Amino acid sequence: MIHIALQKKLTAVDGEMLLDVDFTLKQGKLTTLYGESGVGKTSIFRIIAGLLKADKGLISVQQKTWLDTEQKICLKPQQRKIGFVFQDYALFPNMTVKENLFFALEKGQDKQIIDQLIAIIELGNLENRKPQHLSGGQKQRVALARAMVRKPDILLLDEPLSALDPKMRAKLQDYILEVHKQFKLTTLLISHDIGEVVKMSDHVIILKNGKITEQGIPIDIFTNKRVSGKFQFSGEIIQIQKEDLVYIVTVLIEVNFVKVVAQEDEIKNLTVGDKVIVASKAFNPILYKIDLSNETT
Amino acid sequence: MNILKGKITAIKANGTLSLVEIYVDNTPFKTIVVETPDTASYLTKGNIVKVIFKETEVIIGKGVEHAVSMQNKVIGKIITIENGELLSKLTINIGIDNIVSIITKNAVDELQLSVDEEITAMIKTNEIMLSE
Repeated sequence: MIHIALQKKLTAVDGEMLLDVDFTLKQGKLTTLYGESGVGKTSIFRIIAGLLKADKGLISVQQKTWLDTEQKICLKPQQRKIGFVFQDYALFPNMTVKENLFFALEKGQDKQIIDQLIAIIELGNLENRKPQHLSGGQKQRVALARAMVRKPDILLLDEPLSALDPKMRAKLQDYILEVHKQFKLTTLLISHDIGEVVKMSDHVIILKNGKITEQGIPIDIFTNKRVSGKFQFSGEIIQIQKEDLVYIVTVLIEVNFVKVVAQEDEIKNLTVGDKVIVASKAFNPILYKIDLSNETT
Repeated sequence: MNILKGKITAIKANGTLSLVEIYVDNTPFKTIVVETPDTASYLTKGNIVKVIFKETEVIIGKGVEHAVSMQNKVIGKIITIENGELLSKLTINIGIDNIVSIITKNAVDELQLSVDEEITAMIKTNEIMLSE
């Protein structure tokens, strides 16, 4: 178990804010920090990584103490076993993919891990390329592999997929989950995307003004409490079109489009790009079995 | 969406299903939900909840007497009728609040519905959602 308790005064856009959180991460689970910009998510990451000093705090990872301000213990960033992936990939431009990974090795570490990662994250045919010849999604895969090289105690993912298009994003989410499971990692993710949080995380922590307001299983936190409908998905509005007396709203849910009929009153406070919950009752949808034997003929 | 505020007056649970009765002013509404008081904290007698149903799920019956299986039968008065090419939008006053029904223009013509007419708005039990 990893216990994190931190206090720090931060200067936010609208004055000072006290970051004051206390939470635990379960071994092998993926936990997400969710909240608007400026609530302190990235500051928490930087304190965990040892890049930012806490006013008061305690970080214990399994039996080890990384930070204990009362005992004046504060490990240096390089003494903390952490993997960090940011939105920008921060790869060395003059090195190939493989060289970027080798550079992350610790002295005397078994090099086998590199081949293992290249296999899991499917970097085999990219390993001799330099970052400038890679797409955004490919670069992010390399950054993920590199963060894994030292088998971190905590993998920190700071909105790693927010610069990617929805399709690439869905694919990268699968890679992250695969690595997370294979290496039994304890992972902490920052994400704005409810769909992503629900898909990826075992546990979600909601932050507001530097404090934890709610935490639990994502699907409970984001959906069920609001409306009783059991057929629920979160998505993003792609298009709003008037047809006859009603409006047809197209919503992107992961990689699928659905259309919902809505009224003028409902459209008033909705615009393209808004996140919405699509809900219906469990009584309405029908199940239609996909007959695979027919499809292949 | 039609959203009405009402008070839960009865809950009958069986397995994972509950039949809930809600009074919106003096009008009772009944809904069946895949929740029980154990799984959803808002399912408590006396609680104020939102009763939600889509305009396209509101059936219009001419007059006030109807022997149909529909559990939610609300008598109201048509305030406006807005006609499109295929669809018509009816605003119905049910006392404390208005509800909206969207039916085909054909149906409005067949029933010869008109403004100020007294009608029955009907909603199936399984088409009503609840929200806190």
